[in-house]
Amino acid sequence: MTTLSPTADPSTSRNRPRAGAPDRLGVTFPRVVASEWIKFRTVRAAAWTLPITALLMVGLAFLSAWGTSQLPADGDFMTPSAATLVTNGWLLAQLAVAVLAVLTITGEYGTGMVRSTFAANPKRLASLGAKALVLAVTVAATSAIALALAWLAVQPFASDLDLALDLADGETVRILLGTVLYLATIAVFAFAIGALLRHSAGAIAVVVGLLLVVDQVLPNLPLRFFEVTSPFLPSVAGTRLLYDADTLALIDAGRDTVNLTPWEGYGVLALWTVLLLVAAAVLVRRRDA
Amino acid sequence: MIEATGLTKRYGSKVAVDHMTFTVAPGKVTGFLGPNGAGKSTTMRMIVGLDRPTSGSVTVNGRRYAEHSAPLHEVGTLLDAKAVHTGRSAYNHLLAQAATHGIGRKRVQEVIEMTGLDAVARKRVGGFSLGMGQRLGIASALLGDPQTLILDEPVNGLDPEGVLWVRNLVQYLARQGRTVFLSSHLMSEMAVTADHIIVVGRGRLIADAPVAEIVARAAGTTVRVRTPQAGALEELVRGPEVTVTSAEPGLIEITGSTAPAIGEAAAAAGIVLHELTPLHGSLEDAYMQLTADSVEYHSSDVGQPAAPATAPSPTTPGATSSATEGAVR
Repeated sequence: MTTLSPTADPSTSRNRPRAGAPDRLGVTFPRVVASEWIKFRTVRAAAWTLPITALLMVGLAFLSAWGTSQLPADGDFMTPSAATLVTNGWLLAQLAVAVLAVLTITGEYGTGMVRSTFAANPKRLASLGAKALVLAVTVAATSAIALALAWLAVQPFASDLDLALDLADGETVRILLGTVLYLATIAVFAFAIGALLRHSAGAIAVVVGLLLVVDQVLPNLPLRFFEVTSPFLPSVAGTRLLYDADTLALIDAGRDTVNLTPWEGYGVLALWTVLLLVAAAVLVRRRDA
Repeated sequence: MIEATGLTKRYGSKVAVDHMTFTVAPGKVTGFLGPNGAGKSTTMRMIVGLDRPTSGSVTVNGRRYAEHSAPLHEVGTLLDAKAVHTGRSAYNHLLAQAATHGIGRKRVQEVIEMTGLDAVARKRVGGFSLGMGQRLGIASALLGDPQTLILDEPVNGLDPEGVLWVRNLVQYLARQGRTVFLSSHLMSEMAVTADHIIVVGRGRLIADAPVAEIVARAAGTTVRVRTPQAGALEELVRGPEVTVTSAEPGLIEITGSTAPAIGEAAAAAGIVLHELTPLHGSLEDAYMQLTADSVEYHSSDVGQPAAPATAPSPTTPGATSSATEGAVR
């Protein structure tokens, strides 16, 4: 605190043209993305949650491969496909992703940072979009890397379980790609809820409630209304992208309601996400920061 | 140049800013003065588009803030020192702000040096003192080398050295032809920092004038008189416009008349005067007088006589020097 230089020229020596001169691009979307990327990687939320996401994916793949290998060979068990085995960490990984996504936006509201953000970019929507983009890309990249690591982690059991990832097989590709897509979408979904609620604890509670509680409880209520509507719940629909055909058949057995195809299911989740994001965009523009 | 027209902000039934119309001109430091809750911060937030006015409008350099394609190059803002993510370092905060406008690392380093943050720039902002937070806010405001600066309570939490630094900085920036608009509830600071003052109370504009004019206006016409015949003089001058207060036996303060008028009246009645002193107000008095009715949160007086608002103080330099000792006849 000793460098007090009241006479230092804030305009510095460079000859700058007056503001608004043509060589000044001002705020552009790529620049806002660059800013949001700096912000994303310079707080600890990402540094914690992304490795945890990967660890959960790898760890659960390893554990279920090991668990499956311990089953008696002659038993009448449904052995999971290699793709399901490698990806089944999503159930817990999505929680880490959701927490990161919520904090990405509520952290700004909670600390007051959002005022700096919107002072630099008063049109606001680009900031919201750039945040969502940075988040989705980072989560997708982390998931993809985690899947590759998970594949390596189950190799000790590969021969035992007859594991092979056939990338020419449509279902295998759908599940692998689907896991990456699902986690990235859940991130944006949770981010939108964070932008709507602006409060970390509240938004995390709502997202976790939606992903775990509502999706588990509502479909099992013995009321026709819930039976008919529950296939369209965000995560009930979205997770259909992650199951192999045998599992889907098992889930749908004995139900007389709509059975969405995997991609239809993902489409429903994507629609929920878009709706929430639009609602968040409208409110972010309208509300005082 | 900041121009506000009929600017109004209502929160439910509470009016925070009530039809404010003012202009902040370039080339000088304009102070924005008012008690807590007067609507200063809300007004500043509306200027930079963070809060949406209920009605009215405000432009910076001819356009609404949000319409500028490069707002940080137009307006530098310090709204509050806590508009920063506590988990991020000062350097990274400035870097992220700079990135939105394509401002390079060199300029980030410059504003860090300029505000004396070198030593703590890589530390997380959460551990900053209020003073360091203020310096970071000012660094952030200077990033885009803007023509207009809006600083909300910039000296809050600064040590005397920092206060002096801010004062010199804003005056220097104004001399360069920039528009500087800074708020404070500290009259003493404004008196030495600002050239022009906008006084607000309960969301309304109370005064908008050069500092000297505001002080002169509030100087009023209070005259201190020392006389052994206080009672007689009091009888003599008392009128509908004139009030007389007595601080101690033989010493009275007469408001609503002038020193010559009192002197002549005393001479005519043969009253002996030992002292006849016109009292000049300070900015502080002017402010108290102006905002007496518009203080949002009244505190009870502690060990002080009530209503200090109308008592100009003789402590202002030059006040007592004009004292005239007079004995007539």
